[in-house]
Amino acid sequence: MAVAALHSGGIADHIHPEPQGFVRRYVFSLDHKIIGIQYLITGFVFFMLSGLLAEAIRTQLLNPSGGFVAPGTYNEVYSVHGSAMVWLVVIPLLTGGFGNLVFPVQIGARDVAFPWLNMLSFWIFPVAGLMLFSSFLMGAPTAGWMEYPPISLQGAAGTSMWCAAIFLVGVSSTITGINFVVTILKMRAPGMTFTRMPLFVWGQFATAPLLMIATTALAAALAALFIERQFGVPFFDPTKGGSPVMWQHMFWFYSHPAVYIMILPAFGIISEVLPTFARKPIFGYKLIAFSSMAIALAGFMVWAHHMFTSGLAPFLQLPFMIITYLIGVPTGIKIFSWTATLWGGKIHYTTAMLFAIGFVGLFTLGGITGIFLAAIPFDLHVHGTYFIVAHLHYVLIGGSLMGIFAGMYYWFPKMSGRLLNETLGKIHFWLFFIGFNGTFLPMHWLGVMGMPREVATYDPQFTFWNRFESVSSYLMTFAILIFFVNVLWSIRYGKRAGANPWGARTLEWQVPSPPHYYNFKHVPTVYGLPYDFSQPLPYSGLEEELTDSPPPVAAGAH
Amino acid sequence: MSVAAIGADAHGGVDQLYVETRELRLQGFLLFLVSDCVLFSSFIFAYLYLRNSGQGWPPPGIQRLDVAFAAWNSVVLFGSGATMHYALENFKHGKFIKYMWFLLATIVLGAGFLGGQAFEYNHLIFGEHVTWWGSGIFGASFFTLTGMHGLHVFFGVCYLTVLVLQSAAGVYTRGKYFGITAGTLYWHFVDVIWVVLFSIFYLL
Repeated sequence: MAVAALHSGGIADHIHPEPQGFVRRYVFSLDHKIIGIQYLITGFVFFMLSGLLAEAIRTQLLNPSGGFVAPGTYNEVYSVHGSAMVWLVVIPLLTGGFGNLVFPVQIGARDVAFPWLNMLSFWIFPVAGLMLFSSFLMGAPTAGWMEYPPISLQGAAGTSMWCAAIFLVGVSSTITGINFVVTILKMRAPGMTFTRMPLFVWGQFATAPLLMIATTALAAALAALFIERQFGVPFFDPTKGGSPVMWQHMFWFYSHPAVYIMILPAFGIISEVLPTFARKPIFGYKLIAFSSMAIALAGFMVWAHHMFTSGLAPFLQLPFMIITYLIGVPTGIKIFSWTATLWGGKIHYTTAMLFAIGFVGLFTLGGITGIFLAAIPFDLHVHGTYFIVAHLHYVLIGGSLMGIFAGMYYWFPKMSGRLLNETLGKIHFWLFFIGFNGTFLPMHWLGVMGMPREVATYDPQFTFWNRFESVSSYLMTFAILIFFVNVLWSIRYGKRAGANPWGARTLEWQVPSPPHYYNFKHVPTVYGLPYDFSQPLPYSGLEEELTDSPPPVAAGAH
Repeated sequence: MSVAAIGADAHGGVDQLYVETRELRLQGFLLFLVSDCVLFSSFIFAYLYLRNSGQGWPPPGIQRLDVAFAAWNSVVLFGSGATMHYALENFKHGKFIKYMWFLLATIVLGAGFLGGQAFEYNHLIFGEHVTWWGSGIFGASFFTLTGMHGLHVFFGVCYLTVLVLQSAAGVYTRGKYFGITAGTLYWHFVDVIWVVLFSIFYLL
């Protein structure tokens, strides 16, 4: 009854007047979908730049004595490559990009809670990215993406620029986190209870508090490093009483949760793609949802497992090892649930589905090496070797990036109205999958054999596998070029998608592609989970969405 | 399933689907304070870590802080917390003149605290032993943390001054006064941070 009364009018049906003019629509837009696309475009531009840096690294490693760039330049290249991939590519694409684009529609909202802050948050991001890349002009950071002191204290001016750039990205992430938490808590459509939210929303809901809390901790560490470098205030310099290990604590207290910022939204994407193309309800909905929260919470308690070689007291190391093992439990629950979702499903091998299945396999490999690394004795053996590089690329490329590609193939029709070309997509997937494994699988045994990471030259006995990796990485780059060609071609000439090309059941597929700026003509009411493929859709109030009926009256809410 | 049951599920959120309501802003602002709290916590962690790094505390050559002066200064700041509380309460009850006086008192007390802090800094920097930001881990942690807090008080004083001007211009009504609520929350937050800083720098 209450709902009926509210549906007949009231604020729920008030919407923005339609934005006018190119600048208001596409540049300084308040619409969460446009902002999401802006994030995606900017993120992929930075992705290309970071990818070029990665190829510079692999080209250097074609020969044991290097020779492509000077050793100092090599240090700058891998430091900026790592920083850019983490802060300018994976995190913005998954949270600002897909988060903005999809989840407000999935919960039946007309926009995020604070559209203006959303716009601000986006526009900080390209500025910070340009700052990071401009550090090359003044001597880029050379101590890796972790920038451990004392090396980072001795670096050229670009290291201070790095601090400022990452601080700014952090401000942007914090604003996004606050915005997303409030949106999910307060703006869900009637009937959209927590246990009816799509799993992508759960992924964002677990990530947003991490963005909000962990990123601020990083901001403190960056500020301390910045003022130490610029004003000589001793925090980390051991000759003045500071402690370099303290930086490691402050940095990893952020950066371990950041690992989950980079993977939880990808878990969410996979949890949408798998049931859609297996045509089967997701297995263990609540377990997947709650294990995301468990991972997010436990993520704050494991940071020192990155520091087993830093001289912590053994009684401190042990609990970190045990809690790290425990994180394997909720992660394993997800892997089992996804596998069980596939079991007995009527699987459609679309490109998005291929990336999702590839994700499950490769992420499992990366996760298992993570369990290896949690064991203190093993970690002491391979710390600072290519084994770590292999592990982190399996979770970040095999996990996050495969998730991003799955999301692109899945939601591209929703944002553009056209499908990505499936043939090119499948070529992209297979070349990428082969190239990726060829690049990073040999790093496991190179690491165990003792090849150190972050060094511009290497022992000649490792030459064969390094050349194998470099050639494979060119294959991977070629695959990514195919993806970009596919996107640019499909925007103009792709097959028209219609509202729901995949037969998916979450709310964003029940409105036109691309959705109107107001998302819904009438805010829908939700009656159940979106994953029961044998049942009618659990929504009411969507009857007019695909008709030509006029939009609700813009009542000038602002 | 009855429609009424769904209505009960909706957390009363139906009428907030678009407009930036007071409730949305309040929650957003509280979350901002949470993340600000993490910023302070990180620096507090750094301070405690350096303090326990085994050189004894205060490090040799650093004079002890003047606890009595800082205690009086704290009383000034806590007093401003009380006046801010009464300002909000009076506004809620429609006593506008009283509200303005309490708000002005808060600004005066906040500025007084900043003055006290400036006096203390002056004493440390130009006292017998020069203690400043760059001179060792004591200066680094003390001036960073109290300076950050002082900056928060300064922003608070500026914000409250804007509130006075806005209130005089009649921006806030009895039904719509989120700016005042946010100012009050922020001011109390700054107070609480000071309780922690006072304890760990002067009492510990």
